[in-house]
Amino acid sequence: MVSESVLFGPGFWGPIIATAAMLLIAAVGGLILLGGRRLTKAKPSAEKLKTYACGEELEASDIHADSEQFFSPIRRVFRPFYRYIRPAHTGDLSTYLFWVVVGLIIILVSIALAIGVG
Amino acid sequence: MIPHAPILAIVLPLFAAFLMPVVGILARRRGIKRAREWFAIAAVLAELVIVMSMLPVVWGGQVLVYQLGGWSPPWGINLAIDGLNLLVAMIVSGISALVVIYSFVYMGRDHGLDQYYTLFLLILAGMMGVTLTGDIFNLYVFFEIMCISSYALVAFRRNWQSIEASIKYLIVGSLGTSFILLGIALLYGMVGSLNIAHLAQKLPLEPTSAIIVPLALFVTGFGIKIAMVPLHMWQPDAYQAAPSAVAALFSGATATVGIYAMVRVVYTLFGVFAIGIMLAALGLVTMVLGAFMALTQRDLKRLLAYSCISQIGYILLGLGLGTSLGIQGGLFHLFNNAIYKTMLFMIVGAIIYRVGTSNMDQLGGLWKNMPVTATLFGVGALAISGVPPFNGFASKWMIYVAGIEAGQAVFTIIALIMSALTLAYFLKAFNSIFLGQRPKHLSDVKETPLPMMFPIMLLAVLCIVFGVLPQLGIDIVRPAQEALMNSGGYIGAVLGGA
Amino acid sequence: MDFNYTIAMLLVALGLYCLLLKRNLIKLIIGLAVLTDGIHLLLISLGYRTGGIAAIVSGEMFSDLPGFAARAVDPVPQALVLTSIVINICIVAFALSLTIYAYRHYGTLDPSKLRRLKE
Repeated sequence: MVSESVLFGPGFWGPIIATAAMLLIAAVGGLILLGGRRLTKAKPSAEKLKTYACGEELEASDIHADSEQFFSPIRRVFRPFYRYIRPAHTGDLSTYLFWVVVGLIIILVSIALAIGVG
Repeated sequence: MIPHAPILAIVLPLFAAFLMPVVGILARRRGIKRAREWFAIAAVLAELVIVMSMLPVVWGGQVLVYQLGGWSPPWGINLAIDGLNLLVAMIVSGISALVVIYSFVYMGRDHGLDQYYTLFLLILAGMMGVTLTGDIFNLYVFFEIMCISSYALVAFRRNWQSIEASIKYLIVGSLGTSFILLGIALLYGMVGSLNIAHLAQKLPLEPTSAIIVPLALFVTGFGIKIAMVPLHMWQPDAYQAAPSAVAALFSGATATVGIYAMVRVVYTLFGVFAIGIMLAALGLVTMVLGAFMALTQRDLKRLLAYSCISQIGYILLGLGLGTSLGIQGGLFHLFNNAIYKTMLFMIVGAIIYRVGTSNMDQLGGLWKNMPVTATLFGVGALAISGVPPFNGFASKWMIYVAGIEAGQAVFTIIALIMSALTLAYFLKAFNSIFLGQRPKHLSDVKETPLPMMFPIMLLAVLCIVFGVLPQLGIDIVRPAQEALMNSGGYIGAVLGGA
Repeated sequence: MDFNYTIAMLLVALGLYCLLLKRNLIKLIIGLAVLTDGIHLLLISLGYRTGGIAAIVSGEMFSDLPGFAARAVDPVPQALVLTSIVINICIVAFALSLTIYAYRHYGTLDPSKLRRLKE
């Protein structure tokens, strides 16, 4: 199998072995799922299917998780980062051009440092 | 090899582009349906055949040098094709062929398709020209052809978003190409030549301080095209506003050409591997910012645009490390990125085609309507996040290992975290589009039409093939990596007139 | 000759200034054109020679090649500038047509008002 695997320095990755292992595990997982099937019959009623929304009447089809909220915890953790980054993306063309010139200066300086002159 | 293949690869799409309006008029007079589409598909497939015919010669280790008008290299313009050029030419022609097939149905509802296919073939000619030429000014001219057609393609539908995005793209992009022209002017003033190989031979004789300004101008100019932070801001606008087929072409082919031009100029023309670490650091910033911005997007196309920025960061990181494993990994990632990014944009296009919006808040529960599309989106999302056994894993793994071997373990750690973030925002996208409650008005959405599904499926198969058999992909990429690291061979082949 | 280079750099700087600080799309496009013209002036000055002759193949060229080479102006930058001018015309024409559309959609030429696509 070594000829079909890839050696990366000290590590090794055998894609075929890994794929076979993943498929096998997926099959085992499927079997477990099959084994855990429902025994009692489901008896849905209108009352059970209702979504609790503080007493508001809501159609099931109207309920949709807002994509803005999906990762709000991560956004809260990285708030300092977003505080600086998001205002830069204003959609204003002058800002874009400003950042192009800033980028040119950054690249100029870092090239000068990397080549060792300056 | 087809005789005169190098120049044919540039001339064929150029002529086909100018024949397209004639074909359109004739088709309307004679009442032939879909003539333009078939003509474009034929032209692009012929292009693919021409590029593939150069494969055995170049992979045999030879640098193909084609002299235009019979003038020998330092004086005349020449086309020089080594492994790197050929890899990029393959990606460009392959992606273009798939996007044309995809456009057959996707653009079917639009008016003015003559112009669309003309611009499409023009951008292909421009990309091929940039890829195959061995002359820096010729590269600039083709780069401009590519840029102008891409501005026009973004504005193709002429609604408010595309006009706004196109104006921003045009002004920022033209500033970038002006920088490139200024860089060429400075180089010509210094060395008095425009041939890449000749310049590469003569530049080491100049004082190192003299090359700083032209090099910075080149890196900035090409950096705008590949959306390197902080020059990236035009890109989400342009990708969001452009038709999805165009966005697929940009993310797969145009970005690849931009990276090629950057790498060719920095590593072959200037021969400065020393600034690789700067490229790697900028790549890291690009990767982090792209991933974080993608996390907060509401529009699927905008999310993909930011994820595109993030992936470009990986490629720059790999290429910037400068070791043979790093460059191999970067080029392999370039190849894989073209595959899955094109595929994801095509899937978004399919959703827009059926539903009419790419706003994730208005979608949901489409799993029941489009099961095949959903599965393919899942494959693309897992591939781009670097989950085995898909192709993204193989190339990202190479970049990680290269980072550790080059002594930059911090880079590897950050890249790993960003990979997890990539999975996070694709999970969010998958959840908001395919899972969850389905709004009532979406209940009779149909599955993606088959002609659109075909290129997506082909790309998905490639994703799995290069994931399960990464050695295959590495074999495709290795000639490019060897060519990139052997600039002496390139110079010798071009100037020796071989 | 130094005078030419100074003017060229001045034009480039003026163009950049215009791009960065002007708040009108047409002025931005003018700035872009001025910037490119500065680069063209730089390029043409690189190959210019005071009192030089045109580098056209003629009988004189074959009779006295070194002398001809010493007196002729460098033709390459002229070819480059010609190409670049054509490209620049394309860009300016296209940008102006986009500006017309932008005015129809937004009713203004202020680029800071053209920002419905953001974040």
